[in-house]
Amino acid sequence: MNPSPEGRPEETDLELINRWKAGDSRAATRLVGRHSQALARFAASAGEREGIEELVQDTFVRAFASLDSFRGESTLRTWLFTIERRLMLDRRRSERRSRETVPVEESDHVSEYGALDGLIAEEAQERVRKSLDALSPTQREVFTLRVQQGLSYKEIAEVLGSTEGAARVHYHNAIKTVKEFLKDE
Amino acid sequence: MNECTDSNIQEMLPDLLHRTLADNARKRVEAHVATCESCREDLDVLRMVKSAAVFAPSIDVDRVVRQIPPYRTIVPAIERPAGARVVSWLVAASLALVVLGGGSVLMIQSKDSRSSNSAASNQLPNTIATRSEATKHSPAESGIVPKAVVQSIAAPRPHALALAADVDGLSDGNLMQLMNDMDGFDALPASEPEPVISVDSGDSL
Repeated sequence: MNPSPEGRPEETDLELINRWKAGDSRAATRLVGRHSQALARFAASAGEREGIEELVQDTFVRAFASLDSFRGESTLRTWLFTIERRLMLDRRRSERRSRETVPVEESDHVSEYGALDGLIAEEAQERVRKSLDALSPTQREVFTLRVQQGLSYKEIAEVLGSTEGAARVHYHNAIKTVKEFLKDE
Repeated sequence: MNECTDSNIQEMLPDLLHRTLADNARKRVEAHVATCESCREDLDVLRMVKSAAVFAPSIDVDRVVRQIPPYRTIVPAIERPAGARVVSWLVAASLALVVLGGGSVLMIQSKDSRSSNSAASNQLPNTIATRSEATKHSPAESGIVPKAVVQSIAAPRPHALALAADVDGLSDGNLMQLMNDMDGFDALPASEPEPVISVDSGDSL
């Protein structure tokens, strides 16, 4: 257990969940504060360009609504990634459907993407983003969960509903592609 | 530069970056990286990717928390004790048994009633003949049975029974038709001949 800035031992996720269930709304604030940025980074690096905050919000609303089904077998963050990934897939599916039926307007391109680009200040970051874009969606998910979020292969397999072996293979292929891309740039 | 062939070490590089390795493993990986140019290059790439993860928008925590409903309103389900659930299952099983058993009894009774109906139709000529005899020696005339009862016994029968009076003269087809009519004749009592017997017994008196 890590100490908090005040010197007290940091409460675990499970302790905060129990406190929230007992009616302490500050526990929810602590949990959201602890995991929201990681969720936002995962969404961004998985290729989400719009509505990342809404996505993170929906993830927490869903998660808190079904906290009784969280058994603590994985970490809370892994479980949250699983929920967020499912929401991203749903969102992409519905976007694909709407693209098939609604013609894309010029104004649709004006989005949060520009604001995000503005945040990428350094050239190196831009290069990394491009190298990640060269990966397949699954490779990108595995690579960012492993490198940016520090998840184990087992946890990545849980998030993706896949196997540890498959996660390892995706990781190796991803780092090879990213390395080559950055060398060629 | 030669590519590293130690895939175990390569897979642990992100853990080195996140400082999640146990001491022994960390020392082993660090010793390897010190001598392996390929792994050093991998580690540089990983550092760059990790630090590039800053472009996500910052999340307004309070806004997210405001959208989360309180725990009690989310989970209204009441868990019943295990004993109550067992009792519910037993009651359901008993009801199923009663329904199935009752259904079987009704089916058997229905079969019996059909077979007795057909048996009754086979005896109809004799029965009606006996009735004719009975009316000849009417107990009402002799004052043994009240006239009203005798009238009810001798009252005209439905169409099928009237036909049955001449059943000996029926062809096979007509006989079959009569049997079918009898099957569909719900008003026919299962044991019809009782009043006739009472008339006979009146005779014997």
